[in-house]
Amino acid sequence: MKEKPVEREKHRGIPLLVSIVLVFIVLGTTVYAVAQKTTGEMSEAAIQNLSESLDLIQYTIEAIFRNQTEFQELIAGEAAAAKDPAEYIRTFQKNETMVKMAFIPAGKAEGVSNTGEIFSEKDLDFSAGHTMNDMPVSKSYVNYMGAWAHTVKCPVRREDEEIGTLYVEYIYESMDRSLPDGFYNKQATLYVMDAESERFILTPKRMGKRNAGHLNLDDFYRANEIVDPGIRAEVARSLKEGTNILFYHDIRGVSALIYMWSVNDGTIFLVGYVPVEAIQQEGRSVNQSILLVVTAMLVAFLACVMLYYFNWSQQDRIRKEREAERKLHNIQLAEALRAAQIASSSKTMFLSNMSHDIRTPMNAVLGFTTLLAKDADDPVKVREYTKKITASGQHLLGLINDVLDVSKIESGKVVLNFEKFTLNDVISSVEAIILPMAKAKGQEFHVEVSGIRHEYLEGDETRLNQILINLLSNAVKYTQEGGHIRLRILGLKQYSAQYEHMRIEVEDDGYGMTPEYLETIFEPFTRAENSTTNKVQGTGLGMAITKSIVGLMGGTIDVSSELNRGSIFTVELELRIQEGQEDSLFWKTKGISRILIVDEDPENCDNVRELMQDTGVMLDAMGIEKALNCLQGDNGSCQLVLVDWDVEKAEGIEAVKALRRVLPDAVPILLLAEYDTEGIEEALRVENTHLLTKPFFVSALREKIAEIWKDGESREEMKPEEAKDLEGLHFLAAEDNGINAEILIEVLKMEGATCEVAENGRLAVERFEKAPEDEFDAILMDVQMPVMNGYEAARAIRSLEKKGARQIPIIAMTANAFAEDEKEALAAGMNAHVAKPLDVEVLRKVIGKYVG
Amino acid sequence: MIERKGKKRQIAGILAGLMVLTLTACGRDDGPKNLIQEENGEERIINFFSPMEKTDPDAENVARSASDLTIAMAEEKLGVTVTYKTYTAEDYQDKTYDEVTLERARNNMDDVYLLNPDVILALGEEGKLLDLSGLESAKNLREIIRTANTVDGKLVAIPQEVVAYGLFVNKDMFDQYGLALPETPEEFLHCCEVFQENGIKTPVGANRWWLETFVFAQAFADLYNGGNTEAEIAALNSGEARYSDYMRPGFEFLKELMDKGYIDAEKALVSEAIDGEGEDFLSGKTPIVMAYWGAANAETAYGKTDFEMQVIGFPSDRGQMPVMPMTGFGIGAEAEHAEDALQMMDIILSDEALQVYSETNRVISPSKNVSVECVPALKPLNDRIEEGVYVLGSNAGMKVEQWGNTCLIVRELLGGATVDECMAEFDKLQDEVLE
Repeated sequence: MKEKPVEREKHRGIPLLVSIVLVFIVLGTTVYAVAQKTTGEMSEAAIQNLSESLDLIQYTIEAIFRNQTEFQELIAGEAAAAKDPAEYIRTFQKNETMVKMAFIPAGKAEGVSNTGEIFSEKDLDFSAGHTMNDMPVSKSYVNYMGAWAHTVKCPVRREDEEIGTLYVEYIYESMDRSLPDGFYNKQATLYVMDAESERFILTPKRMGKRNAGHLNLDDFYRANEIVDPGIRAEVARSLKEGTNILFYHDIRGVSALIYMWSVNDGTIFLVGYVPVEAIQQEGRSVNQSILLVVTAMLVAFLACVMLYYFNWSQQDRIRKEREAERKLHNIQLAEALRAAQIASSSKTMFLSNMSHDIRTPMNAVLGFTTLLAKDADDPVKVREYTKKITASGQHLLGLINDVLDVSKIESGKVVLNFEKFTLNDVISSVEAIILPMAKAKGQEFHVEVSGIRHEYLEGDETRLNQILINLLSNAVKYTQEGGHIRLRILGLKQYSAQYEHMRIEVEDDGYGMTPEYLETIFEPFTRAENSTTNKVQGTGLGMAITKSIVGLMGGTIDVSSELNRGSIFTVELELRIQEGQEDSLFWKTKGISRILIVDEDPENCDNVRELMQDTGVMLDAMGIEKALNCLQGDNGSCQLVLVDWDVEKAEGIEAVKALRRVLPDAVPILLLAEYDTEGIEEALRVENTHLLTKPFFVSALREKIAEIWKDGESREEMKPEEAKDLEGLHFLAAEDNGINAEILIEVLKMEGATCEVAENGRLAVERFEKAPEDEFDAILMDVQMPVMNGYEAARAIRSLEKKGARQIPIIAMTANAFAEDEKEALAAGMNAHVAKPLDVEVLRKVIGKYVG
Repeated sequence: MIERKGKKRQIAGILAGLMVLTLTACGRDDGPKNLIQEENGEERIINFFSPMEKTDPDAENVARSASDLTIAMAEEKLGVTVTYKTYTAEDYQDKTYDEVTLERARNNMDDVYLLNPDVILALGEEGKLLDLSGLESAKNLREIIRTANTVDGKLVAIPQEVVAYGLFVNKDMFDQYGLALPETPEEFLHCCEVFQENGIKTPVGANRWWLETFVFAQAFADLYNGGNTEAEIAALNSGEARYSDYMRPGFEFLKELMDKGYIDAEKALVSEAIDGEGEDFLSGKTPIVMAYWGAANAETAYGKTDFEMQVIGFPSDRGQMPVMPMTGFGIGAEAEHAEDALQMMDIILSDEALQVYSETNRVISPSKNVSVECVPALKPLNDRIEEGVYVLGSNAGMKVEQWGNTCLIVRELLGGATVDECMAEFDKLQDEVLE
């Protein structure tokens, strides 16, 4: 159906083409017809014209003949009048025309010529009976001058008595001057032929016309290949009857008109030909002009058509572009509408979920506060209620944090914080969170690491944690009790030597997802809903946040899932490898140059080897029996023994003991085992035997070694920051919200500290300015306040010319919990940032860090 | 947008151009009122009388083309028009070209004539021709030309080519019968005998014009090549020596050819040059004909044969002998356009024109400064001429005209006269001259 308009468009050009062709055909036919008509008319006119020209020549020659005979009559009269006609003619000299004159007296055979010679008629042939002005004319001949001539005779009468005959010889060459010097632009050929002898007695004068056919009629036929008997017969008849003949004939490939034009009743003939091209010169010229005009018109027409076509195609292109643009807009609009609809419905759903999710803990909070009011006197119940209220509050806070995260990510406000970390730390902290959750649901949680070459990395550890926790907590959530959760971290082929390329797989054998749900899993505000998962609490934002973070890190996330079979999430990431992580010095200082790995599994050994490659420590891997053999009698060539507990677990304890026996006491044995491995406690009791939690990481090993080597001393270093006891401290707090101020006062009071509240930044600054030195141990500063906000107040305080104004710790305490808020707080001169709602533990830690 | 502007500009330009053209076409030319342009001055005409053969219209006449080229040069340089007047005898009963030429020249009909040797001598003696020795181009002439065309101390004619006559033989036929090309009269007779024995009835094709060449070759081989030319001619002019003595062997030789049927005398007597014998020679029926040098180059004659043709000298005791009569252009003593005709002669006989002529026609040039290579068929004849071995067919220095008279007497022989009768004719001619 859709193809029809295209087809129609394709065929739209055909009628136009047909129209143009038709126009051309009509025009061509008209021009041809006009040209033919013109040619015909011109041809007729040309024939007419040729006839007239020939008539003119004919009349000229006949006029010459007439003059000659009139002259002869005159002479005859004069001669008759003369006493002696013979004597009389001798007085004449030859001239250009008349070259001989003779008189033969009547009854005599001979007479005398004007030159005095004897003259007789015997050399002349009058048999043909041709006459001029009724005077007999002889057959043409070459005379004594070598010129073609004829003789005319006339009687000389004296008083009605014929006393003799006057003969006058005329030469044809004299006529030459009266004939046209070639006509039809000298393209016509003209001969004068004696009809009786059929000899050409006058030929064309110009050069280039002399190749053949100039002798006589036969020669003319031969040279011009006139062989048609019909034509020849016609010519013969014309010659006999003294009529004109004109016919078409090709002369050496050129179409020509051949003429034989009778002069003086057929005494002589004008013979020759004119090329048709020469005759129709005007016609051809007119036709050429017509053709030129038509060509010009056609060119103009074609130019117009081309211009039209060009313009049309331009318009069409623009129209098509606009159409395409419109289509694209429509599609975009439709998509936007769909997205808006989806977003709207998702948000509706989200609001409904949120409403439910918020109401549930709120219900708990409000319910328990009611109960609290009722059972205020029962400390046990009060504690229990407050614990539950706290839990509900925590849940609410989590919800709010997630929503904030999504909002930040969507608005592009999330910035990754690059810092150094070790993969070990990440896995440890994730494990610490997930393992209890999994255990609580009776699920098995395993972590596997393989192919990782570098564990000292750079990146946003917190966000990486977030990714793992989101994926793993989902796995725990959507996996039935007793299910299995696996976290695999696989080293992939590095694209760049500076980046560790890894794949993180989170696999479970839980409920799985439908293909439909899989399509929307990474979209915000969606949450798997079915009878099974209805129970599961969540904002439906976790996966969207995860995907966004992975995207921010330049990685990819994929999921495959089968309903009731489980799911597997795959994240591929490239993380920058820490530079200058040369820790060979550590091993040297610890005197470790060789470590024995007791492990039957070569893959495990390779993992350890890869991770240890930069340490400069030699690794020997072998089974327990070989290890025992090797160590027997060995004098402390290895400084540490790693035993894979999972492999050796059956006879683990015995093996450890055997190892212990062959090893010097100073060489520690590290048992590589999963967290909480059963039955390991006994093994750990063997002297100088310690546990190293799987998966193996160099950093963990270093930590363990440091711990073993330095014993308690290193333990001190490793300790986290101790929370400061707030007892006896006095704070200045800037807080405009009365309830918050009250809570703060109460919380601090519980900790044994006191607090003075200023209602806005200005008051806080003034209060601090006035306060004696050392009155306050620190300033707790809300940010959003009337009159003067926290940042301004902090700046003002830092700029005071008061002793301690620059040193006093200022801690931002605000519901603006974003990273940029923290940055701004620090920029304003504050020392730290604590997010609301207030967590006493956090506050204690922060204060502990900054207050003396 | 810029592109569109450019196109608009182009279209505007085209339209403007069309408008200008239209306006130009519509514009009126305010020229002279009289539409006939007056011709500048009187046309200068030179009448040129020359022969015209009946030729094949499709064949190119090289000699004529060559001559036309030089005439065109003269027309262009002088601004004159050369009008051709021609004559051709329809048959033997008609007046000959030579006769007509004589009559026309005597009656002062034309300006320039193309003349045969006997006519040159006759008209020269009658004082009907202008002396051409003053022409610039005459200075380049070979001595033989000057000698042959000088009458009473006047150079009366100059040719555009040195005409050499020879025997045109079908070499393939000679080879076919194992015959060598003849050097002497005896060898020639032997060849004819062999041809006749092999069924070739008439081995020698002849016409009424050129059989005299056999006579000249035998008559004057010694005179011109014996180192005593001047004395011998002087003896003839004084009557000490008789022409008949020189001519007799050649006539007897011709008589033998006729008697043995090697020549068809009857046919020859009424045949025009090439017209009569050419067809049989070209078709391989006749192995030997006689013709002039240019015939070997001209398609209208023997320029294109299906067999290997060679041109050799006529048989004589001194071997093959080219016969060279002198034709030439002469100007009528009282020519109407004598001055223009002289100028025309100077141009058509200049080295430049003769170079063009000789290159086109591949002939021996009368100018000592012009030489071109001849066609292979002519090589044997050319070699002899280059060696300086030849006889003259005409010599204005001899008081009895040779070329025309001998031709006429040969015709008498053909007509049945005896050799003695013919010799008597020569004696009579010589006596008339001596008187």
